[in-house]
Amino acid sequence: MSETHLTIEGVSKSFGDVRALSNIDLKVDRGAFVCLLGPSGCGKTTLLRIIAGFEQATSGKLLLDGADITDLAPHKRGFGMVFQSLALFPHMSVAENIAYGLKLRKASRVEQKDRVEELLNVIELPHIADRPVSALSGGQRQRVAIARALAIQPKLFLLDEPLSALDAKLRDNMQIELRRLQQSFGVTTVLVTHDQTEAMMLADELVVLSDGVIQQAAPPSQVYQSPVNPFVADFIGSANILPAVSTSQSTLGLLGVDTGVSVEHAPGSTLQAAVRSEAISLRKVESGGTGIVSFARDLGPVTEWLVQAEGHEIRVRGASSAVSPTVGDQVSLQFDQDRISVFAS
Amino acid sequence: MRVGLLPTDRGGSYRFVIVLLAILGILVSALPVVVVTIMSFSAAETSGFPPDSYSLRWYGEVARLFTNEDSSSAQSVVDSMVTSLVVALIVMVVATGVCIPLAYALARGQRRVREGMELLFTLPLVFPLVMLGIAFLLIAESLALELGIWRIVIPHIALVLPFVLRNCLSAMNGISVELEEAAISLGASPMRAIWDVVIPLMKAGILAGLIFALIISFNEFTITFFMYTIDVSTLPIWMYSRTVSSLDPSTLALSVFIIAADVLLIVLVDKLIAGKGNLF
Repeated sequence: MSETHLTIEGVSKSFGDVRALSNIDLKVDRGAFVCLLGPSGCGKTTLLRIIAGFEQATSGKLLLDGADITDLAPHKRGFGMVFQSLALFPHMSVAENIAYGLKLRKASRVEQKDRVEELLNVIELPHIADRPVSALSGGQRQRVAIARALAIQPKLFLLDEPLSALDAKLRDNMQIELRRLQQSFGVTTVLVTHDQTEAMMLADELVVLSDGVIQQAAPPSQVYQSPVNPFVADFIGSANILPAVSTSQSTLGLLGVDTGVSVEHAPGSTLQAAVRSEAISLRKVESGGTGIVSFARDLGPVTEWLVQAEGHEIRVRGASSAVSPTVGDQVSLQFDQDRISVFAS
Repeated sequence: MRVGLLPTDRGGSYRFVIVLLAILGILVSALPVVVVTIMSFSAAETSGFPPDSYSLRWYGEVARLFTNEDSSSAQSVVDSMVTSLVVALIVMVVATGVCIPLAYALARGQRRVREGMELLFTLPLVFPLVMLGIAFLLIAESLALELGIWRIVIPHIALVLPFVLRNCLSAMNGISVELEEAAISLGASPMRAIWDVVIPLMKAGILAGLIFALIISFNEFTITFFMYTIDVSTLPIWMYSRTVSSLDPSTLALSVFIIAADVLLIVLVDKLIAGKGNLF
């Protein structure tokens, strides 16, 4: 049974007239990896900075292990943070950077040296201790920044888009690395990102934010498979958001097709449906199809199509095959019943 | 050196123009130093350029000035020199001590406040120095206080503040808030974060400011000319009074020492901050 480590209670934040966060409630389990995910300007960084103590919430409370830390100064919180710019101290060597937090804690020289060595081994860069920070590559800096934050054995590990400056391949490796480090240290972690793939990959719990409000907080697969609203469905894995109706048999009618998905809404009520691009399959027909293919690109293992149907542009993804429809073909659409999310309009 | 990158085949004339301008510039800025140095080795009684013969007699004269009691002026060269040094050191320490926190506050504060304050502190630069001297004299007289050495120190501080502030501000510009926050997240109090992170990164700018303050104050003449008294006078005032009637070559010998000391100081600091910033 997991216990709650960090509790955020009704936190709001306004900058002048601008409301950055409204009434955020969140519980983070001990040892969990939580990703705050949302488009830019959604308030995710503000929330992280409130947790770190660099911003004061306008209202609301922060509890760590049940103790109120809302007004605790940031340097007394003991949270390790990795900044977007990494913020390695340029006038110190790698070892001095990592040992800085320990020095402040009055650890002996021997302790500092041992801990630095241990962390450099953990990040698999044992030979760079005496190098100046300026001599490191992007990926190395990344690891050093993470090691510096972990050196103080933080109660919480906070990361603000730490991987956004890396190129795609390196980012991929670092994600795996980060997850491995987090698990081996067992530290409760909150990471801010706008990259949904990164969030899906790292998180135990995904918190989707938009306009300063938590849209959904759930494990990634649940967020992906049953988004609670069209925004989440669209933001996580870009679904097709389509208008739908409840048919007379209380099933979902979509683009004139009865999907057979039963709905609880009264017959005739207008609804919205989110359908993943890979939950639609196309069949080429001679006539009487639902839509016309306007675009097709073969990406190797999969093909992407754009289908024009009843005034909507629908994105479809599926396995490539010789009989795949091409541009101009009439197609009928089939929906994977289990992978349609229905929302009241 | 961009000269080497300029076209040389057909556009060779550019290189010629640039070399010419460079020579002209070096001549204009170095000529006084060269003349003073040559003249200081003159053997003649009066100061004509170029000298007919050379000797070290004026250096001997300087040595004599420093060792023997001098009755020809109210203040001895030693007293003036000591006053100049004390003034310059106080000015250097106070101006830098004011400018470091000021630069920090301005750099971290609101942009509009910063621009206004920068303008305010630049005022002594655009003010005619004579007017500044008169203004400070009027203030000092109306205060009717025995200010002692501070008669000269306070105007000097106002004069060097823009130079020191500018150096400290440009040093602050490259230091992101995230660096301080990183230190704080690792357990440093805000003051400790400034001490451990901001100050070391400002070092080049601070050193440059210190040197500027020292040299400007030590060599300052115009304002000091209004402010000096019989008891409190500086070396430039002494040198002026020495040469005002007839040019005394021993002051030239003394200048050579001052120039040498200034150059040494600049080279030293340039070495200290090598690669971490520019002095000018």
